[in-house]
Amino acid sequence: MKILIADDSRVMRQIVTRTLRQAGFDGHDLVEACDGAELVQAANSEKPDLVLSDWNMPNMTGVEALRALRAGGNQVPFGFVTSEGTPEMRETAQQAGALFLITKPFTAETFKEELAAVLG
Amino acid sequence: MAPTGDDLQQIAEQVWASYLDTDGERPLVPLPPDKLSRDVVAGVAVSGAWHGLVLLACSSAASKEAAAALLGMDSDEVSEGDIDDALGELANVIGGNVKSLLPEPCVLGLPEVHTEADHDPWLEGDEICRFEATWMGEPMEVSVLEKPTGQGGESAS
Repeated sequence: MKILIADDSRVMRQIVTRTLRQAGFDGHDLVEACDGAELVQAANSEKPDLVLSDWNMPNMTGVEALRALRAGGNQVPFGFVTSEGTPEMRETAQQAGALFLITKPFTAETFKEELAAVLG
Repeated sequence: MAPTGDDLQQIAEQVWASYLDTDGERPLVPLPPDKLSRDVVAGVAVSGAWHGLVLLACSSAASKEAAAALLGMDSDEVSEGDIDDALGELANVIGGNVKSLLPEPCVLGLPEVHTEADHDPWLEGDEICRFEATWMGEPMEVSVLEKPTGQGGESAS
């Protein structure tokens, strides 16, 4: 499967990559985007099976990117990996079409629980 | 509703356990260092119902160790860009967790990283809480600074 990781921090993209491996989800193709605009472009061109996106990014936020994808007919499974996990954020994420919201700091266990339904 | 030093300690310890000290061998020790340092200060602005900054300040040596730990590199291999990215992301994670303890609604800005920030006007404001610690023998400090309405830094687009 192909996973698109979107975060403006290279450090966090590497942490997400490492945590996917620690959670047992190695062997998947990984694609990266460094902001919301790149995320939309990559989601449409690379056709990933899952998007893991930060919320707060320059050029376009993660939720703006998700809304743009859904408006364009792209139904890619999408989850947020973000430092904010308030009930309001979770509601906004769900209404925009996200399947889950993982808060930072996260562990491999959390990834395993949240992503198993999508990645198997 | 305001965060406390204990809140900052709890958040910082979770961040360290998840990202910087996963094996428990390099813990964040909750003891004030002999001397604080503002060699590197990373912060995120919070704006809306509350205005201010959530800050992470440390020595240059600690910033290199943090970047190296996060990137899985040796500390002498990290670049200034790596340090900015690493410290900025730590501030972002801590800031996002602190934000949930602040009056709502608020938005979190993108991280900024300043160096040699002892007299930096960015750091003017009223400190409402702090947590001082030692990591790898180096000073590490988390604080929350309240600013007058309209100040604080860049907001996310």
